[in-house]
Amino acid sequence: MGDKKDVWQGTLALMVLKTLQALGPLHGYGIARRIEQTSGDLLAVNYGTLYPALLKLEQEGYISSEWGTSDTNRKAKYYKLTRAGRKQLEKEAREWEQTTEILARFLAPGKESA
Amino acid sequence: MRQLQAWLLRLGNLFRKSRRERELAAEIESHLQMHIEDNLRSGMTPGEARRQAFIKLGGVEQTKEEYRAQRGLPLIETFLQDMHYSCRMLVKSPGFTTIAVLTLALGIGANTAIFSVVNGVMLKPLPYRQPDRLVSLFLHGQGLDRGSMGEADFLALDERQHVFEHVAAFSPSSIGFTLTGLGSPQMIPGTSVTSDFFSVLGIQPVLGRAFLPEEGKPGVSLSVIVSHRFWEQFLHADPAAVGSSIKLDGKSYTVIGVLPLDFHFGSHNELWPILQLRPAKQRPPYWLLTMGRLKPGISETRAAADASLIARQVREQFPLSDDMSTIVVLTKDLIAGDASEALLILLGAVGFVLLIAVVNVANLQLSRSGSRMREFAIRSALGAGRRRLICQLLTESLILAALGGVLGLAIAYGSVRAILALSPDVLPRMEEITVDGRVLGLTALIAIMTGILFGFVPALRSTDSPVGQSLKEGSRAATSGRSARRLHGALVVAEFALALVVLTGAGLLIRTLSQLESVNPGFNSSHIMTALLSLPPERYAKAPQVISFYEMLFERVKNSPGVEAVSITMSLPPNLLELTNPFHIQGKLGAPGQPAPAVAEIPVGTDYFATLGIPLFRGRLFSDADRSPATHVLVINEDMARRYFPDHEPVGTRVQTGEYNPKGDWYTIVGVVGNVKYKGLGEKDQPTMYVPYFDSGWCPWFAREMYVVLRSASAPEKVVSILQSAAWSLDNQLPLGHVRTMDQLMYDSVAGSRFRAVLFCIFAALALVLAMIGIYGVMAYAVSQRTHEIGIRVALGAQRKNILRTILREGASLAVLGVAIGTASALVLSRTLAGLLFGVRGTDLGTFVTVAALLLGVALAACYIPARRAMRVDPMVALRYE
Repeated sequence: MGDKKDVWQGTLALMVLKTLQALGPLHGYGIARRIEQTSGDLLAVNYGTLYPALLKLEQEGYISSEWGTSDTNRKAKYYKLTRAGRKQLEKEAREWEQTTEILARFLAPGKESA
Repeated sequence: MRQLQAWLLRLGNLFRKSRRERELAAEIESHLQMHIEDNLRSGMTPGEARRQAFIKLGGVEQTKEEYRAQRGLPLIETFLQDMHYSCRMLVKSPGFTTIAVLTLALGIGANTAIFSVVNGVMLKPLPYRQPDRLVSLFLHGQGLDRGSMGEADFLALDERQHVFEHVAAFSPSSIGFTLTGLGSPQMIPGTSVTSDFFSVLGIQPVLGRAFLPEEGKPGVSLSVIVSHRFWEQFLHADPAAVGSSIKLDGKSYTVIGVLPLDFHFGSHNELWPILQLRPAKQRPPYWLLTMGRLKPGISETRAAADASLIARQVREQFPLSDDMSTIVVLTKDLIAGDASEALLILLGAVGFVLLIAVVNVANLQLSRSGSRMREFAIRSALGAGRRRLICQLLTESLILAALGGVLGLAIAYGSVRAILALSPDVLPRMEEITVDGRVLGLTALIAIMTGILFGFVPALRSTDSPVGQSLKEGSRAATSGRSARRLHGALVVAEFALALVVLTGAGLLIRTLSQLESVNPGFNSSHIMTALLSLPPERYAKAPQVISFYEMLFERVKNSPGVEAVSITMSLPPNLLELTNPFHIQGKLGAPGQPAPAVAEIPVGTDYFATLGIPLFRGRLFSDADRSPATHVLVINEDMARRYFPDHEPVGTRVQTGEYNPKGDWYTIVGVVGNVKYKGLGEKDQPTMYVPYFDSGWCPWFAREMYVVLRSASAPEKVVSILQSAAWSLDNQLPLGHVRTMDQLMYDSVAGSRFRAVLFCIFAALALVLAMIGIYGVMAYAVSQRTHEIGIRVALGAQRKNILRTILREGASLAVLGVAIGTASALVLSRTLAGLLFGVRGTDLGTFVTVAALLLGVALAACYIPARRAMRVDPMVALRYE
């Protein structure tokens, strides 16, 4: 159980960082919606799990937060990427690409025998 | 790095929680509102919009809980919670808490104190540079284990060795140096040392300098290094005093250095005069202690081999001397010496006391957890896991242990001071006995270990019964059942077994002390005053000067009121033997090269035997008629007569002492006197010969330093002033040193045994009280648990006396079992005590019976109170209790 969660936490963190890079400062609800929209129905996860992840990223210094006002004039906590966060995003994205590339080659059927 | 930063933030988040909680609530709230608005916009009904938002979030409380887990450090938070709860529980039962903490404090305190002593005496490195390279050297030969060296051996070693950085010889003066010219004459303790002494130790003076090699050569003007204390007391802490001159034993010494304040070597040394050694004409006497600093990479064995080679070469030079090798011992081990064994045994005993304390607290915890069964049942019904409950109970134990540790440290601090005050000169390196970091560490470790030890069993036990059962069982505190009672019983048995071992040790050591004190020293020790006189060589250069001084002194003192007899001696009973010497019987010489038997040789004044009350068995004593012309007579003791003259009369036989010399003087044995202890009350009798001081080969050299013994009619303290003024009337530069009554000397001579007996007794008393509390607690608890049962029995017609007897029998059977196991263990363990015992065997029946009886008596007394309570149970009350 712990392992699955870690994978999820890792990818979730990457998604959060990417979202913030793409959309600029955003509140938790917005990030959750964006991730859900982008991933389609593949990621039907509780929005609640997002908040510990956001907190963890903030504790690690990759994002920062401050209270602001939403489009609908509601008070909300806005998260934005820090410099360290930007670097971390680049690094993680690269690593992720490598991983997927390796896995893709690995899983591609029959190439070697051909 | 990032991880550490995050961790620190999380640690910080343990504080100011309420503000963070508010923020979290606001964030979740705003999230939900935005979601609801979106849902409404997409056409849901208000109710549905709200429901969906909540579902999608996944529960407000769950989210918050996970968020909190990420925010703070859950482990620490749980721990803080447990601490908080434990403290509340402990405050709620102050009686239990007080007893538990006190019990632990005594156990931990006693252990910490003894460990401080062990640490100071045995474990700490010596306070010199690279102490593990510091060794002591001894001559080793037939019948000689660790012998001192003479000038010949040391000078050869110093010149020819290749394995030491430096070697040094030193000679502690048991008497001290007579300091004149700075106030009234005084004897100052000190040790003469060769020039490399401080290089061997690796110590630099704080003022001035150490000895130069040429200062060690004979003929060069004398120099002295002084202690910091001496410098403050006699030289007014004046830096200009370095380079000035002081008078020691009538000779002028230049003060060239002042040692650091915390420097110490041996006991109470204030003066370190240079020792200038002349090339020897013969190998003996052996009087130099020797130390060396090993060169890097040289082992002790290698050094011993090298030094032994030199010892053989020295023997070739002096073929009449004994064949000896050199042994090398780490100085640290040498200093701890005999104290180690006793200290380790004390540490063992005190460890037992701690175990008893731990068992006691475990028992208390167990009893208490019996009545807390329902609490645990309710908590686990509410969802507390077993691990969490055990953690909670362990936290309680650890808090108790920590409190006990802190209080124990205070006790230890006080005890160490008490021990030091109790035992001056019993322990080596006393200056280094302190409660330091290592001791603190050990105390903390002990506290934690004990906490886990006495917390774990009760914690496991009280959490393993199924929830429902405890809740259902009895409306009163749930009974802890048969197995718990058995566990209680086992703990009491263990306590009694441990207590018996400690008590037996104490009993044996007390017997030892009383045996030692009842040893017949061979003379009448009451009403005797002793003091040391030291005549400066330049004013008493020749024998006639020394003799006339003493004879005039006797004349003046003898006729003073209150003085019955006065004399002098070089060795003083019960434990100040100064000199042994080989001797040869005329006509019965051993084979050449064979070592002649050595006996104690004691130059004494003519009235010595009368003054001390030593009985004459045969022949005659010395008289003034032996003085001039010298008659060359000896008096020997019974042991020497029995050992060396088994088949013929010693009186009339002629002997020679020292190295055999065909042209030397022969002495005639004129009398046989009773044996006197000169090497300690616990030692065997020693063959001894007495020689009139004025006719001794040692006159005037050693005869300048003699003990005066004085028999008084009333309290011996009163005659001190008579002696002092008589001495000053003859020579106003003479100090009296070491003024003691003989009774004090006798008392001090068994200080080591007394020290051990007293400490052991304290531990035994602790063990006894703890065991008593232990059995009382268990029996009282058992009775309270069985009130109901007893009520029924009484209602059914049981005799009250029978009930009393049942309870007493139950308690007694635990105690008997404990005593039996303890006796078996003590029989084995008392062997380790063998080296400390005197006049009593480790398996002494009397001691074992007394101790067992004492413990059983205490057990019965402790059980009597709960048993009486059981006897008085009112059946109606007991039954209605349900």
